[in-house]
This record gives sequence, C-alpha cells and structure tokens, in this order.
Amino acid sequence: MKRRTFTKTAVLGTAGILTGGLPAWAQQEKFGTKEEIAAAEKEGGLTYYTANFAETEQEVIKEFNKTFPKIKVAMVRAPGGQLITRIKTEAAAGKLGADVVNHSDRGLMLELQDLFQDYKPPNAADYRPDAMVSPKLWPGVTLGWAIAYNTQLVKNAPKTWMDLTKPEYKDKQIGQVVGPSGGTTWTRIMFEKQVLGDDYWAKQAALGISLFPSGAPTSDSLVRGEISIAPLLYNIIYTKIVEGAPAEAIFAPEGVPIIPYADGITKTAKSPNASKLFMNWRLSKEGQSFQIAKLGNITSLKEPPAFPKGWDPKVIKVWVPNFEQFEKLREPWLAEWNKTYGYRQ
Amino acid sequence: MTATSAEALPAARQMTQAPRRWGAPLWVGALLIVLAFLVIYPLLMLMFGALSDSNPIVDGFGAFRPSAKHFFDVLANENVHLAFFNALAACGGGTILAVVIGLAFSWIVVRTNTPFKGFIAGASMIPLFVPPLVAGVAWGILGSPKTGLLNTALKWVGIDFRFNFYSMSGLIIVFGIYYAPYVYMFTASALRNMDPSLEEASEVSGASAFTTIFTITFPLIAPAILAGSLLSFVVMLGIYGVPAALGAPANINVLTTYIFKLTAWSPPLYNTAAAVAILLMVVTAILVWAQQKVLSGKSYATVAGKAFRPRSLNLGPWRWFTFALALVYLFVVVVLPTLALVIAAFRKFLFFKDFNALFDWNQYSWVHFNSVFDNPLTMLSIWNTLKVGVITAVAGGALAFAIGYTVNRTTVSGRRSIDLLATLPVAIPGLVVGVAYLWAWIGLPGGLYGTIWILALAFVARFMPDTVKALSTSFLQIHKELEEAAWICGRGLLGTIRTVVLPLAKPGVVASMTLLFVLAIRELGSSLFLYTSDTTVMAVLLLDYYEGGNTGKTAAFSLVQTAILGVLLGLTTWISRETTQNTRFN
Repeated sequence: MKRRTFTKTAVLGTAGILTGGLPAWAQQEKFGTKEEIAAAEKEGGLTYYTANFAETEQEVIKEFNKTFPKIKVAMVRAPGGQLITRIKTEAAAGKLGADVVNHSDRGLMLELQDLFQDYKPPNAADYRPDAMVSPKLWPGVTLGWAIAYNTQLVKNAPKTWMDLTKPEYKDKQIGQVVGPSGGTTWTRIMFEKQVLGDDYWAKQAALGISLFPSGAPTSDSLVRGEISIAPLLYNIIYTKIVEGAPAEAIFAPEGVPIIPYADGITKTAKSPNASKLFMNWRLSKEGQSFQIAKLGNITSLKEPPAFPKGWDPKVIKVWVPNFEQFEKLREPWLAEWNKTYGYRQ
Repeated sequence: MTATSAEALPAARQMTQAPRRWGAPLWVGALLIVLAFLVIYPLLMLMFGALSDSNPIVDGFGAFRPSAKHFFDVLANENVHLAFFNALAACGGGTILAVVIGLAFSWIVVRTNTPFKGFIAGASMIPLFVPPLVAGVAWGILGSPKTGLLNTALKWVGIDFRFNFYSMSGLIIVFGIYYAPYVYMFTASALRNMDPSLEEASEVSGASAFTTIFTITFPLIAPAILAGSLLSFVVMLGIYGVPAALGAPANINVLTTYIFKLTAWSPPLYNTAAAVAILLMVVTAILVWAQQKVLSGKSYATVAGKAFRPRSLNLGPWRWFTFALALVYLFVVVVLPTLALVIAAFRKFLFFKDFNALFDWNQYSWVHFNSVFDNPLTMLSIWNTLKVGVITAVAGGALAFAIGYTVNRTTVSGRRSIDLLATLPVAIPGLVVGVAYLWAWIGLPGGLYGTIWILALAFVARFMPDTVKALSTSFLQIHKELEEAAWICGRGLLGTIRTVVLPLAKPGVVASMTLLFVLAIRELGSSLFLYTSDTTVMAVLLLDYYEGGNTGKTAAFSLVQTAILGVLLGLTTWISRETTQNTRFN
C-alpha cells in the first residue's frame, strides 16, 4: 500500500512539475502560439469522436480544460467497428461531425487517412516511428498489456507471461479476451506467438481458459473472483486498483505489447485551431504524463516522461507489432487461435 | 362470438361510402408512403448491404454488384446454425415460461379477489423497465456458479446445491421472467375488456371454474395470448444484453451475440450482419403468417354494446394462496435482481470472500452515484431521453392508432400490405437496423441528422410492430355493432372514431404509448448510430459504463433509469385507470 502511494505521488509529481508552477498564459503557450490560442478560443470548442472508454476520455478533457477552460470538448463515443462505420457514412454524406478522431485500430484509420488534414505536433520528433502508420495520424493514446490477478484468490502470483502456462493455474482460473475481439487483443496474441513461442497457445489452452468477449467483463470478473488471473490492458484494471479493488497487475519481463492509437484532425473540422491545441496538448509530455499517472496508459514517446507503477525501464521493454505483419498475419493466425482455444467465431 | 359485419346495415354503408370513395385510397396511400419512408427505405438499404460488399452512402448505388455470397456464407457457417438453434431454444423456452407467468398473473390481478392486486400489478411490470444488459448483469451477480450471491448464501447455510445461470436454462429463466410483462399487458387488457356474461353462461351450464377458465376465458383471449407470446418471442430474438452477460461465459452464442461480433470486429462486417438480419426477418415473417393463419376466420369480439363490470372470482381462503404465489414471483423477479443491483450500485467492489462479507457496511457508499452525477453527460442524457421518449410515444402512438384502425376496423384494399409493412421491423436486431437508418436518413434535407427528432423517427419505425400489435388487441375486442350504431345515428367516420372507438380503446392506447415510451428509453442499437454529443441518451451512456467494465456505475445508473421509468409508468397507470373508469361508468 505504501509502495502504491509512493508511486502514485511520484508519477503525479512528475506530471505536476511538467504542468504546474507557470502562469496560465505561459502554460497555454507551450501548446500553441498566441494567435492560435486566440483563434481556438474564438471557435469555443470542438467535437471529439473516440473509441476509447468514455470515462477515461472525460478525464482527459477535464484535464485539458484546466489549461484551456474556454475550449469545450463535446465527445461522441462508440465501440470501434461502429465508430468507423459512422465516420465513413457521415463523411460520404458530407456531414462528418468530428473535428478530432481517436481510434485504436491503426489499419482501419489508415484506410481513412484522406479524411484527415496534415498535422504535426510540436514534439513530433520525440515519437517512436514504429508507433506511426501515417504522418497525419498520431498516437495520442497508447495502451499496454499487463498480467492482472485477484489478490484475495491468488497465493502465488504469476510473474511472467510463461507462468500463465503453469498447471497450477488450471481449471478456468485464467480468463482472457477472445482473439478476434479487435486490434488490441490481436496485438497481444501476435506477441504471444512471435515472442513466447509457437506452442504457447496450445500449452495455455490445455489448462482450460475462460473466454470473454472484451476487456471490461474480464476485468469485472477478475475483481469479483469469477476468474483469478487475466492478461488485461493495464488501463482497464489500473483505476480499479487505485480505488481499492482486490487486484494487482504486473508488467512481464518478456515484453509489454503496446497499442498506439491513431488520432487525427479531420479536413472538414469546424474548429481546426481548437482541434490543433487539443491534439498538441494530448501529445505533449504533459498530456502523456497525465494519461500515464491518472489513467494507466503507456506512451509512444521515445523517452517516457513517467512510468506506470512496477515498471522498471531497465527490465521491461515495450513490444510494438510490425504493422505489415499486423495486417498480413491476422486472418490465418486468428483462425489458428480460435481452433486452439475452441472458440467458435 | 358472433361476427356481425357492416353488410347487415346497407343504409349505413351507403351513407359512409360516398366520402370514402376517394378518402379511403388517399388514406391508404398516405399510410403506405409513411411506411415506405419509415420501413421500406431503410430495409432496402439493409438488402443493399446484404446483397453486396458496399456501403450505399460511401460507395454509392453505382457500386452495387448484387451477390448472394453473404447469404451462402451465413447459411453454410455451422456456428451460425448453432447460434440459430440456441436462439430458438432460449427464446422458445423463454416464451413458454413468459406465457405461463404472464397469463397466470393477469388472471390473478384482473379476475380474482386476491388481496393487494394493485400493488401486485404495478410491481410485476418492473422487469419491463430493466434494460436487458442490466438484467443479465444482475442475474450474473446472483447466479454465477462460482461467486453468485445465491450460491454464496447456499454455501453459508450448508446446502450443496448450486445455481448456474451461465447456462441455457439460465437464459430461458431470465428471458421468461423479464418478458412475462409483455404477455401480461396483452392478456390483462383483454381480460379486463371481456364480457363476463360468457363465463357466467358457462358456469350456469354446470362447468366448474377451472373448466371455464380453460374452455371459455383463455380461448376468448387467444389473440392476446398469441400476440403477447409472438411479441415476446421476437423481442427475445433481438435481445443482446441477456445472452451477452449470461451466455458468453458458457460459450453459448445466439444470433444477436453473433451479429454483435460481426459489427464489432475490425473491420466490421455489416454486410454479413445484414444477411443474418434478413434471415431473422424471414423467421419473423413465418411466425406472423402463422399467427394470422391461426386467427383468421374467427371472431374474438367480446366487448359489445352492453355495459359490464369485469367479473372478479371469489377464491375464498385460496385468495391467500394466489397472493403468496404472487409474492414468491415478485420476490424472484423483482426483489432479488433489484437487490443485486442495489448491492452492486452501493458496494465499492463486488468481491465477497464469504456470505458475512455481504454485511461489511464499510464496503458500501454513494461513490458510484456521486461519480454518475459528476458526469455532465448524465443530466443531459436524462433530459434528452425524456424528450425522445415523449415524442416517440405521442407520434408513434398516433401512427399506430391510424394503422391499427385501418387494418383491424376497415375493409379498405391495401390494409394487408399496411399490416405487413408495419410488422416488418420487429425482428431486425437493433445494431443492424441502426446502421440501416443511418444509411437511409443521413442524406435527408433540413438538418434532421444530429437532432433529437431523428432518434424519435428511428424509435417510431423500430417499435411500430410492438405498438400496432398491442393496439390491435384492443381493436379486435370492440364489437363492430358499436360503430354501426354511431353511423346510424349520423356520425361520420372521424366522429365515430372520436366518440366510440377511441374512448373504448383508450386503455390499449395508453398501454401502447407507455410500452413505446419504455422501449424508446431502453433502445440502444439505433441510438448508437444517430446520437451526437448534444443528443446523447441514457442507453448510450449505460453502454459506456458497461463497456468501461464498471458494474457499480452501470448498476447505479440503471437504478436511476428504473426509478425514472417507475415514476412515469405509475403516472400513466393512474391516468389510464382514471380514463377507463370515466369512459366505462360515466
């Protein structure tokens, strides 16, 4: 508990150092010129389409408004596939409502890149090139996979990904999100086969695994004790841990598969200046620090401004999927995964 | 059970025929145009999607290359076969249970002297307000084999038996108890409007009360039973929340969960989902056809030109037995899941080491409610939902009355087509029909897209079958002779509707509008594609909480939603009761 408090204080402190202590105008001008800020404030707000969790993004908006109180952000949130369909249809009908789009599936966003305007944040050079799929789309959000467990049920907690193939965790103690659920899970599955070995799935499936359609019910089941252990996106379980849930999460030394989002400003944005400021702030060290500290995100910055709790940068390495393979291997490998885990697609 | 027709009164017919000569075709034409806009146009978009790989708005109609590939893929996929049979088993079993419960309840409430009937009637409708997703979550909390509250309690008292609601039988039970109110609404209204002299005649002839129930009462309300069971079956077919929460952990897929997967995958497979939706429509069309076949050629008119008071059977001491039955039912369907939701809403986390942990009061707080009301979208969504609900109930109720009257009370040509068109949307799962509405209406001039009105339009279209069917039962029970009497007295068609039909059908109209209001407030599928940041509704926010993995906030928000619905439903029940009494006895 003490360690948790210390880490939280440390991370928030880092964020505070990065954002605090400056007068309001000085803070604002880190993210845009005086003219841009005046123009953005004149626009008054922007519309933000996101596939991320609504509550998470509301926290981001709230924090953004501490620096830019005159820019209101109206959010439209929908699950990934539905959001893409909506964007395509609205754009084709000439009624695209979004100024900024935030989406986890880089492949689908790449197909839509013509809808987005040229944009580069002031700290563009600080971002990992392998987290980018288009110069117009930026990883405003980056998520990472961790191993979560129920502290009341697990006596001997797993410490590595390979531990999740041990017989002591058999009989539905482990739960996981099904492979075809989306790009985030596909990233983890790809990591398992490429890094942990060809037989990793078979070894784990032999234990008997509880399967879930998405991360939310998986984390809920873990907290309730339906399952004891689960690979989970860290941000799904992090806020619960902070609130006192009987759960803990670790980052495994074999690597942390990360999912950089693809965010962009639409060509038809009604508030281009406000959108630019919003993107600049989210991609800045301040914005990324806040997301790491408060939301349990990771970052795609080459030099992370902060680390999540339990993340030792000397030991833990991030794993970013090769984008070409990400697209090419998806169908055959998911078919194999379905067969191995007995999942009916 | 006589079938008096207008032909018996040639003078009356002649009086009304002249204005009808032009009026009828114009009226039918107008209704068909409205239905074409609300139903055919979006369905054509759906067909377009099912028969091609393109999006009609994005790719344009020029890109349409018809192909039955998606249908063949779906028909050949053994997982779809399994999902189909699972859906039939879950919804079929659920419907049987819903009919047993709904019918028994309506009989207890309307036709017996069981004590506290008003309370029982009101409380038994509560499951109807609970969004399916929340119902699934509540029964997961209660009946999960590992950590369910029921099983924790059984373990505590030393009983070895364990419930498992993550199973097909769990699905059937939850479907049955949550959709029994549909059957109840239909059958209670029919029983209330039934002339008791028919039952009295049976008993005077020597039949026992039991025989009378099964040979007179239930056969006479057969349209209501059939309509209620058909509606509950097709509504269950389209439900995602219950099988998602209870079926998924046991790897039991039904068609809706399969469709959800298709729309949620990256990239989303809407064209395949549209093909599955069309198959669902075929199943529904067969059911509707079967219902009409069973009912055709029979008259079920039981409200004639004679005043009556619904008969109440004196059960003697047995009335306490029916009361106890009702209490047990209410405990199971209302108290237990509500308790589960209340616990989830007030408890910080839903982990119980043992049964005693349930009473650790330090674990309870208002934290989830505070968080829900800290969210600026909460009040906005409540306000928007109420606006959409009222608009939908009023506009949809009026349209359903027009359609129901035309179909059931006139002989105009084209009424069968109107009936068919009004029934079509019933089986299209919300997630698929949502994208069809988006495709169909996004290009409409006048800035409709992005307003509250487009949501109301979608709800009116989507729930038209439910409303029309609910109203049809009332129409079927009003004897033709009442209208004919009005015509003889010189009333025109509109005057007859205003002074005779509408007052007699008022309980049904209010019930239908209430149903529409409830359905509109719960609807997610169509909202998801049509809402904007200014027009967000409660169902969308509830999904946000659920998808965020927060059962506590989901439960807290659903309790808020249930409370709002409960207050509004109490109000409409009161209005309905007042108007019925005024109509009947003044």
